[in-house]
Amino acid sequence: MPETLGGTPLEAKSSRGGNIFTTSYVPQLRYAWDTGEAIGRYLQELKQERLIARSCHQCGRVMIPPRMFCERCFRPTDEWVYVKDTGRIITFSLCYVSWDVRRLKQPQIPAVIEIDGASPGTGILHVVKKVPPKQVKIGMPVRAVWKPSAERVGSITDIAYWEPNTKTKKRQ
Amino acid sequence: MKQPVKSKAPSVWPGEIPIQSFYTAGSGGQIFFKALKQDGKLIGTRCATCAQVYVPARSFCERCFSALTETVEVKRTGRLVSYTICHFDRDRHPLNPPLALGLAQLEGATTLMLHHLLDVTSPDEIKIGGKVETIIKQRTKRVGSILDIEGFRIV
Repeated sequence: MPETLGGTPLEAKSSRGGNIFTTSYVPQLRYAWDTGEAIGRYLQELKQERLIARSCHQCGRVMIPPRMFCERCFRPTDEWVYVKDTGRIITFSLCYVSWDVRRLKQPQIPAVIEIDGASPGTGILHVVKKVPPKQVKIGMPVRAVWKPSAERVGSITDIAYWEPNTKTKKRQ
Repeated sequence: MKQPVKSKAPSVWPGEIPIQSFYTAGSGGQIFFKALKQDGKLIGTRCATCAQVYVPARSFCERCFSALTETVEVKRTGRLVSYTICHFDRDRHPLNPPLALGLAQLEGATTLMLHHLLDVTSPDEIKIGGKVETIIKQRTKRVGSILDIEGFRIV
């Protein structure tokens, strides 16, 4: 530590010898988030290996994740619509740091997937695998890889990951 | 045509945030805990300008912000300034018998210290302004924690 900052520099080893007095505490931070009607249904459908969206008849959008209110028209949405479990990458990141700040040799590839059947630009944030990081491209067609039925619990992670969908032709 | 799912569950999404705190006592706390652990003494720091004796010891004066270097040993005895009797713990579990906490001013200190009030379960047994004594654990059981002090006992 530069001397200009003052204070008393400490290293991890100082606390181990019992010379530096410390206190530690692990609070119990459990929560239960109310899914609401739209996300509740969305999660149930994920358990059944299906993606569901909500449509607004006024603006014509098909929204995923679904919501009961159209933020553009300022009115309730109208209909449940099943959409496909395929789509395209509309943005992605090569992430060399895990959520708890560990370095990763192989990057994770979080991506926003525009879902086939939903309105353009409407998508969900998920993770892409089975592709060399340098080959990931915006517009790349992908498909959902679902967990086995017994492992699905009604969670966004019921989709294990998305992989390149080689059967789809490139969009014109 | 696919059948919609009819179940009303799940309506909530449960989760847990993993957090662990790790605090150092700081340079003032270091003086206090070292003396408590090694010698079973209660040490404060004095600000001559403000006529304050801070217990536990701290490294600067809260009033004039000057660095405090003069240490003072205070007595284990003091006066009870306030108390509370807790019937629930911080996780809302009932406490039976209830737990009493006392705020005491030790002789020689100008500040107050909060700790357990030992062997009392009812306000009838407690008198504000009454004399208390700080009970400190045996040397072998002391680790340099505020819990090296068992609490205040009414005398």
